[in-house]
Amino acid sequence: MTDAKKSEVLQGTLDLMILKTLHALGPQHGFGIARRIEQVSCDVLQLNEGTVYTSLLRLLQQKWIAAEWGTSDNNRKAKYYSITARGEKQLAVETENWERISGVVGRVLRLEEES
Amino acid sequence: MEYSRIPRLRALAARVAGLFGPRKQDSEFDEEVQAHLQLLVDRFVAQGMSREDARAAARRQFGNTTLLQEDRRELRTLVSAEDLGRDVRYALRSLGRSRAFAVVAIATLGLGIGASTAIFSVIDNVLLEPFPYKDPGRMVFLRIHDTARGPEGERQGYTSNEFLEFAGQNHVFEGVIAASDDLVLYKHGEGVELLYGADVTPGTFEFFGMPALYGRVMQPADYQPGAPPVFVMRHKTWMERFNGDRGMLNKTFVLNGTARTLIGIMPPRFGWYEADVLIPEMPVPGVSTGFAGLPARWFLLGRLKPGVSKAQAAADATVIANHLAKINPQDYPAHFQVFVKALGDTVIGRFESTLYTILAAVGLLLLIGCGNVANLMLARATSREKEFALRAVLGAGRARLVRLLLVESLVLAIGGAALGVLIAWGGLKSIVAAMPQNFIPAESVIELNAPVMAFTLVVAVLTAVIFGLAPALQAARRDLNDPLRDTGKGVVGGFQTVRMRDTVVVMEVAVSLTLLIGAGLLMRSFVALREVHLGLQADHVFETQLPLPEDRYKTAAQIRGFYEPLLARVKAIPGVVDATQSSALPPYGGMDTKIEISGKSHADEWHTLLEQVSEGYFRVLRIPFKAGRAFSESEINDARKVAVVNETFVSTYLRGENPIGRRVKLAGLETLADPVREPWFEIVGVVADVTNQGLQAPIEPEVWAPYTVTGSGAQVLLVRSQQTPMALMNDVRQAVWATDSGVALAFPSALEDHISQLLYAGPRFAFLLMAIFGCLGLILVTVGVYSVLAYATTRKTHEIGIRMALGAERADVLRWVIRAGLRLVTAGAAIGLFLSLLLGRTIEAELWRGVKPYDPATLAGTTLLLVATGALACWIPARRAARVDPMAALRYE
Repeated sequence: MTDAKKSEVLQGTLDLMILKTLHALGPQHGFGIARRIEQVSCDVLQLNEGTVYTSLLRLLQQKWIAAEWGTSDNNRKAKYYSITARGEKQLAVETENWERISGVVGRVLRLEEES
Repeated sequence: MEYSRIPRLRALAARVAGLFGPRKQDSEFDEEVQAHLQLLVDRFVAQGMSREDARAAARRQFGNTTLLQEDRRELRTLVSAEDLGRDVRYALRSLGRSRAFAVVAIATLGLGIGASTAIFSVIDNVLLEPFPYKDPGRMVFLRIHDTARGPEGERQGYTSNEFLEFAGQNHVFEGVIAASDDLVLYKHGEGVELLYGADVTPGTFEFFGMPALYGRVMQPADYQPGAPPVFVMRHKTWMERFNGDRGMLNKTFVLNGTARTLIGIMPPRFGWYEADVLIPEMPVPGVSTGFAGLPARWFLLGRLKPGVSKAQAAADATVIANHLAKINPQDYPAHFQVFVKALGDTVIGRFESTLYTILAAVGLLLLIGCGNVANLMLARATSREKEFALRAVLGAGRARLVRLLLVESLVLAIGGAALGVLIAWGGLKSIVAAMPQNFIPAESVIELNAPVMAFTLVVAVLTAVIFGLAPALQAARRDLNDPLRDTGKGVVGGFQTVRMRDTVVVMEVAVSLTLLIGAGLLMRSFVALREVHLGLQADHVFETQLPLPEDRYKTAAQIRGFYEPLLARVKAIPGVVDATQSSALPPYGGMDTKIEISGKSHADEWHTLLEQVSEGYFRVLRIPFKAGRAFSESEINDARKVAVVNETFVSTYLRGENPIGRRVKLAGLETLADPVREPWFEIVGVVADVTNQGLQAPIEPEVWAPYTVTGSGAQVLLVRSQQTPMALMNDVRQAVWATDSGVALAFPSALEDHISQLLYAGPRFAFLLMAIFGCLGLILVTVGVYSVLAYATTRKTHEIGIRMALGAERADVLRWVIRAGLRLVTAGAAIGLFLSLLLGRTIEAELWRGVKPYDPATLAGTTLLLVATGALACWIPARRAARVDPMAALRYE
């Protein structure tokens, strides 16, 4: 697969994906989050892994996630991020939003194809 | 993902927090990134890459770390330090290019900020944080107010019994202490000196929570009967009277005939009772006599228990007072109220409203300053339109432009604040010097301190927003195309800008007129105050109190034995016209007493002020007689029960009757330490009214009696002289010492200065400051009107040229510009007049009765002054406009 076929990550969706990841896997460090997204997206998304950190900061500022220093599997100091109660609420709201919008967009696109 | 309003606020909070301590976060982030990169490298190596390739791939996959760091910084803080630094540098460069503008703006702001800083530091040190004691906010004193009488019908001195009752029976105070006047004669090798002492009750120093600076404060043991006599000295007294000699500590001093050991010197800000020396005294039940044979009176100070309000304390104290009134009905009026007052109320009271009035005035001054700078910035913005348009075209966002301009404002405001602090620092010294004595608590030190500096900083930032925001928004709203096409000569800015500048000038004029009217009213009030006739001639009179040692001067005969030779000696001094004894010092009458008049029956209590004097009294003070005669020398010598009354006495109690020969009973004389039996006095004369309650309160009935009837009462010597009164001081002191070497002069002064300090110093202070601020305001407004018109006419040169080419005369142009300017000034003046009438109530309290806040002369005078100054400010640009050469103006097209 070449780079040209990879899609740019829509702005804002990364935040949602990270929230979902933390919701599904529990506390993770940045590297873990990047791996998870890579794995789930089957390399479709082109992701500058650094942008994960910008996104994490944005989420931290909203207090949707919390951060804590801990030790990784191979005994390295690492910052672990976990979703907060407030974040769970936001995730529910945003997931619903996303599904509604993507549903609409999908229908519209199908209409285009049919006509 | 959607970031609605609340999340945005949350992010803002995080960003504000991000202003502090970003460095640690940066290094933490670096660590995080390095760890991530390392993990990526490990993974690629595991997949079979070489270390080198793995590292390159990891970096590729992670993305640009520098960009990332920048993104984060932008997210995390409001403005990145780099951007801010660039803006500040740019602002400085741009202000440096228009130096005249910067100087005028900074000077204007400096004046406003400086004045506010100075006045605020007075308020902070005098009103907000005057006392260095433990919990001063909970310290209160009690005042018993006779509801039947005016503000003068109050007392805050209590007998020992009352003190013990209030201290022992209350449920609202953590502790109660008391102090009582004690004039202390301190004997040293050469003679005697007077110290103002206070007897203080056990627990006083624990109450204030202040240890001694040197030595120790009083301990409970010092109050025990038979304990060695000790005393504590105030820092100021120690420095001024004893040159701060530390060797004095633990030495013995003879105070009022008792050898006492000096055990401690208090810290500089300890000023309780303003006493030079503090002497331990345990109040004992029963009648005790204090200063000058008058009954001892204690001033009570209590500390409220936490959570107890003043109203609750007043209710509790009322219960005790009602009980006391039953036991000692003579000490309590028929109907009374107990007030609980804060410690600060002892001194500040009336001065408080004066200070707040002045602070308001200073605020207005600052507002005018802001108006001026805003106008200058608006004018500047108009000529910078092209620059802004170019910036916008090149991609600067609106927010970026606003920020740029706000930073410029902030730089100006900070410059103004720096200048302001310098001005305040210098001005504060003059303010403190002009401040009336005894108007501020002895404990307060007026200085520029941390809270004041914080205030200045806040004011500076606020002013930057006030004067900077409007021009910034205005500039950022610009259409991009117009200014780039415009030559910058033909049109006078946008219509919006012109209107905004005009509005600012109108507001400035309005505010300035309000200030001027305030200053004018205070001046009128001050002049009116000076014209009030006191009823006596205070010039060329030397006065001094002469506290007599109580052990040797108890009876009337002993007092007379001192004064007869003394008055003879003083009268023999060259230059002395006359001399007299008195028991009170103008402009106040003597003690208050209940009276009865023969042949008069009445249900309510009758009161009068009573003063004991020698026969020369009315001559020395030049008080004219309306009927009857003065005391004769033999009446004084024989202590005859004769009296002189004032006109108010006659009109209050003997209206329409002949007072001469009537007999009046002065009941207060019966209860003195040296009582007068059967105190019925025959009225022999009536004098014109003399101010006897200060200037504000109405004159009370007053009676004068021979000083020889009792040995009790304060002792004052009044001397009329041909030359400057103070020149007599040494001769008078020698005369006093020749009569009794154990007597000291207390608070000697010229009577005129004494009265002036008491009555005029406060109003003069208010009027002086208001006048200064009013004038500054006027100057600023003149500059404002001038700069707006000058700018407008410069921009209109082209238009004027065309008009003149089409046949307009120079006079037309002149009239045209002046009319435009005066329209603004008169509109502002009208609003200002309206505003002043609206605010009249606030300044009314500062005005001497008789001067109304809508005093027509003041309103007319100040308005005229303002309009005239405004016209002058219009004249210069108008004349310049009229001199425009039409050819030159048009040639630029």
